[in-house]
Amino acid sequence: MAGLNDRDDDISAAMGEFGDHVDNAIFSQILEMDDSESERDFSAPLVQNFFEQATETFQKMDNALVDKNLQELSSLGHFLKGSSATLGFSKIRDSCQIIQQYGHQLNVDGTPEEDESVCLEKISAAIDRVKVDTSELEKLMEDFFGW
Amino acid sequence: MDLVFDCSPLPLLLLTPSCCIARASHRFLTDWAVAADDCIGLQLHTFLENQLHPTNIYPARHIIAAIDDAISSRSERTSKAVPTRNRRSCRARVIPVFKYDQLIAINIEWHDRPAEFLEGELVRPGLSTDEAFRILVQALKDYAIFLLDTKGHIATWNTGAQLLKGYTRDEIIGKHFSVFYGKDDLEIKKPEKELDICLREGRVEDEGWRYKKDGTRFWANVIITAIYKDGVHVGFGKVTRDLTERKASESRLIAAYEESEKLKSDFLANMSHEIRTPMHGMLSACHLLQDTELTARQKDIIGIMDESGQVLLQVINDILDYSKLASGSFSVTSDVVGITSIITSVVRSAQTTLKPAVHFELFLAPNLPKSVQGDPLRYRQVVQNVIGNAAKFTDKGSIRVRVSLQAVDLESFTVLTEVTDTGIGIPEDAAAILFTPFTQFDVTTTKRYKGTGLGLSIAKSLVELMGGRIGYRPNPERQGSVFWFTCRFKKIKSLGQIQDWKHDSTPRDGSLMALPNTDIRDLQAELSQAASSKTLLLVEDNVINQKVMLGMLRSLGFKNIDLASDGIEAVNIVTRKPVGYDLVLMDINMPVLDGHEASARIRRAGINVPIVAMTAYALKGDRERCLEHGMNDYVPKPVDKKYLIKTLAKWILLMRDYRKDESENAWRLALALLDYLPTSMNLSILLCESTAGYQTGIPISPERGVRLNSVQTCQKRHCR
Repeated sequence: MAGLNDRDDDISAAMGEFGDHVDNAIFSQILEMDDSESERDFSAPLVQNFFEQATETFQKMDNALVDKNLQELSSLGHFLKGSSATLGFSKIRDSCQIIQQYGHQLNVDGTPEEDESVCLEKISAAIDRVKVDTSELEKLMEDFFGW
Repeated sequence: MDLVFDCSPLPLLLLTPSCCIARASHRFLTDWAVAADDCIGLQLHTFLENQLHPTNIYPARHIIAAIDDAISSRSERTSKAVPTRNRRSCRARVIPVFKYDQLIAINIEWHDRPAEFLEGELVRPGLSTDEAFRILVQALKDYAIFLLDTKGHIATWNTGAQLLKGYTRDEIIGKHFSVFYGKDDLEIKKPEKELDICLREGRVEDEGWRYKKDGTRFWANVIITAIYKDGVHVGFGKVTRDLTERKASESRLIAAYEESEKLKSDFLANMSHEIRTPMHGMLSACHLLQDTELTARQKDIIGIMDESGQVLLQVINDILDYSKLASGSFSVTSDVVGITSIITSVVRSAQTTLKPAVHFELFLAPNLPKSVQGDPLRYRQVVQNVIGNAAKFTDKGSIRVRVSLQAVDLESFTVLTEVTDTGIGIPEDAAAILFTPFTQFDVTTTKRYKGTGLGLSIAKSLVELMGGRIGYRPNPERQGSVFWFTCRFKKIKSLGQIQDWKHDSTPRDGSLMALPNTDIRDLQAELSQAASSKTLLLVEDNVINQKVMLGMLRSLGFKNIDLASDGIEAVNIVTRKPVGYDLVLMDINMPVLDGHEASARIRRAGINVPIVAMTAYALKGDRERCLEHGMNDYVPKPVDKKYLIKTLAKWILLMRDYRKDESENAWRLALALLDYLPTSMNLSILLCESTAGYQTGIPISPERGVRLNSVQTCQKRHCR
């Protein structure tokens, strides 16, 4: 097995333009699992899958928002937070964390937020934000993978 | 008549009533070396004053007194012995001769003083000492006392001899004393040898069987004394006592002793099973109980039970080990020994028992071999004993453990382990008996330190079995002790054994153990080697996460990874294959059934597979919550590869395989059942266990007919 850090420099150079969208340390771990840097057989489909999953999840979130189903919103937030965290997509992860928290009627610092409408507002804002972040990231990824 | 007197073989003197010498026999003149003219007509006392030894003329008075006494009592008297001029010692037997009331003459017979028996109470008035002794010897019934001539022929015979041996005087006089001996003794010429020894040493004593006239035998104590007269050997005195009764009671005593020895060793052999089995049962039950939901107070109490149980088990093992070592039936096995890992693990466990003011210093020489061949358990036992003692007896200061290589040759390493403490030390007089069993130098009534006093003597025997030595010296720097021991280990031949060792010699309760500190690359390489033979279950609901985890695990060399996408599925898969997985990676927050509950269900099903939680929760207490639900460890999400490698290495390379314990427990249970069968039953039981790793843990008792056979496939076997 090649060293974990051997290719860090090349990768971080290539990833420079991700900015605060991506946690480079985590994402590079994913890239290292590719057998070849030119093919990116592992990471490319994985990232594509993620965007499909994100699109599906946003759809479900919109529906839940209409239904004012906080429970569902929270669990959707948790779900997408898991995969975005795994890939190191920090901005998406942070928004999902907010959706999950307010779905549980909790503020980000963990204090309770009794008012459902406040929670829904916050969630709605977070969904808007996460959608923007996701499409921005998708463009960056398209460039990176050369899609 | 005068002629008769003169020619008497005895030295005689005839005195007038006024004590004037009237006649002397020829023998007297010869013995005393005097002419007739030198004595005839002289007063006796005048003659004696000339003749008796000049340094001591007083004894003449003894003779005069004897004469006076004899005359006044009108009976014979014998004087005390008196030394004569020619350095002989003789007595005078005074016989007064009366005609009616008229004293007409005094007859004196001179007798050489016979043996060393001295004059005394035995001699009744009117009885000569000779006679008294003759009567005494003759009358004794409990001792056969008789004289032999120089060749061993019997010359005298007393009542005791007749009663004891059954021969009458007439039958036996003149016969050789070897008639009393048995055939075996005669073959080895014992009678002759006894006389030879007796001549050389002056005396011989023997105990053995002697035979009576009727052929029956008795256990005799025989003393033969060589008898000399005037420096010339004249024969032997023989005294024989019948000790048959004493011999019989001695044999009864010996039989009783042998019986008790046998009972003792049987008892100890039985103890092994009878005590250890229920002890293990209790401890296992204790552990099971610890795994259930308990209040803090209950946990405390069970902790005490468990700890006391462990201590008791140690004491029992000590005693059993000692009796095994004492009987020489102890053997050391040959396996892979990781010296460093054993030392660090013992030090780590001793650290928990340390007093707060004590700290450990551990020095491992850099040239120590990584692993060697020997008996890891026995080595650990000695290390544990010595370090344990240091911890026990040290209240403040330090315990320094230094392990170094003492010698290397082509075949082996000699490893020196030194433990220096600043404890109570050992008094000089106690140092000599340190390694003696059952001794503790603290024998005061207010005994502070518990123990059997066997530890060091066991350690000594073990070290000697491992080709080493053990010793003690006072701490040269300050108060305290230095215990050192050496062990000879063979150099290792195959590298494959190292993996096995790692499973064996590390503690089971390592869930809170620090992650291995080895270089991450080495760890990864080691993990990849082991990974291909391991099967994992990954429980994760999110497809992206599944893929990433799968990718990571594959990159680490794992090939057999099963997937479950929720808790229910995980529980079903694991319970279907209770020994199928080496490790479960469990996501916590999942739909349907979360990771906590899934883990709890797996544990409730009695499956101890290691479960590592993966969760994005980073809150304090999450880890504890995971452990509470029966999970063993925790990896934060997003999963960091290095962290994952360390965690997997810990559970897959270092920890003891959970299935091994289960297998062992199953066998232990089976064997415990054996103990309920009577030992007299002739058992022949074949244990079939295919996994080599599990076999080592199976307690085999060959004395009960239990044998172990490794089988690869299940076949029908006949058990009788």
